Amino acid sequence: MLTKKVKKRVSFLTIFLALTVLGVFSILKTLDRNLLYFKSPSDVKADQNISYTKKLRIGGMVKKDSLKIDSEDIEFVITDYKNEIFVSFKGTVPNLFLEGKGVVAEGILNDKGFFIADRILAKHDENYMPPELKDIIKDVK
Amino acid sequence: MIQNFILMNGYGIFVWAAFAITFITCFILYYKTLKTLKKHEKDFADELNKLSSDQRTIVLEKSKIATKVLASYNKSI
Amino acid sequence: MFDVLNPSKIFTWIEKLIKFINSIFFILLLVALTFALIVSPPDYLQGDSVRIMYIHVPSSWIGLASFTCIALISVLIFIFKMKNLILIAKSIAPIGLVFTCLSIITGSIWGKPTWGTWWAWDARIVSMVVLGIFYILFILSNKFIEPESKATKISCIIAIFGFINIPIIKYSVEWWNTLHQPASIKIDGTSSIHSSMLMPLVFMLLVFLLYCALIFLMKYKTEIIRIKKKNLKRI
Repeated sequence: MLTKKVKKRVSFLTIFLALTVLGVFSILKTLDRNLLYFKSPSDVKADQNISYTKKLRIGGMVKKDSLKIDSEDIEFVITDYKNEIFVSFKGTVPNLFLEGKGVVAEGILNDKGFFIADRILAKHDENYMPPELKDIIKDVK
Repeated sequence: MIQNFILMNGYGIFVWAAFAITFITCFILYYKTLKTLKKHEKDFADELNKLSSDQRTIVLEKSKIATKVLASYNKSI
Repeated sequence: MFDVLNPSKIFTWIEKLIKFINSIFFILLLVALTFALIVSPPDYLQGDSVRIMYIHVPSSWIGLASFTCIALISVLIFIFKMKNLILIAKSIAPIGLVFTCLSIITGSIWGKPTWGTWWAWDARIVSMVVLGIFYILFILSNKFIEPESKATKISCIIAIFGFINIPIIKYSVEWWNTLHQPASIKIDGTSSIHSSMLMPLVFMLLVFLLYCALIFLMKYKTEIIRIKKKNLKRI
């Protein structure tokens, strides 16, 4: 079955695949920063030439006990458990926007610790369970 | 109970839209596939009928598939 | 014509299988829908919108699995010149395309009530759209390139090249920050979905797979008849 021709085609395919994988990988690597849907507070802190005029997205967890809602004015702190950013927002938020849950804020950075958002997206995690079970877990904790 | 089943606490429109789109799409794909299958069966039968009766007998004797396609086409008309 | 197995036997099997699937399909569909829409509980966080998962997740899996199959078949065609296998790849492609599109559309419908947006330029979503484009390229190249042997060659290269996208889709949620949540069911078999919600998911997957098998068999049968008609004078 493995004639010379077949072997030739196998080696051609292997080289072709290896090269394209390498090519795609290097493209992705150079695009790495741009592929991120959002920056974490630590990314913002580490980035020296971050833009204060362009729109960007910041994501992380809504810090527990930081959420203040005064009708349309919403203030909270985004944290990645290392660094924090204070976010101010006017408008409506999705139902899943809650303390201790994931969030992505779109807007403009005022300074490294203060962000003015004009859109809030909720990010949920990969856990799915019925509500009764959640209560049981809470009670145990 | 039934009201809740339809409204789903406000999420009803999203859930029902997603299910409806899925089933309509699947049904269209099924219908199209069936139609092309029937069309090809018909084409095959037409082609077979164009042959002279001797040739047709030889084809039907040699190829079981041809016999089956012809039978299923004859059933559908 | 079909050197792998006796073609008329394959044909008989295809007809039997189509009949079998037709006979059990609607019962299973009803059971799966009852589980997905009525019996299964709402999610603690997402409420009833979690029910969209029962069609979104199987659709995505089928979209990914179909392309993987097509890519593997393409490798076989390319290396061993088993040209007849292209009939199988051609029969799978439309199913994969439809389910990839369904996955994107239902994902969008699910995104609105949970994330708060229909669409996001997120690595997972964009790579899924790229998968859809590869399906379209594969189908179009098989349809419009003449002669058929050239079409087979080009479509195989498209499929093999597009396969690189599959691991990117799979790991996009781990490599980059995305709005899309990470996988709930890992390759090693662990799952972060509660069993009362996992059951309807498995049922729906089963129904979807049966549907795919049905469409595949019908397409494959069509292809066999088409080839037979071409060779009618030579039989």
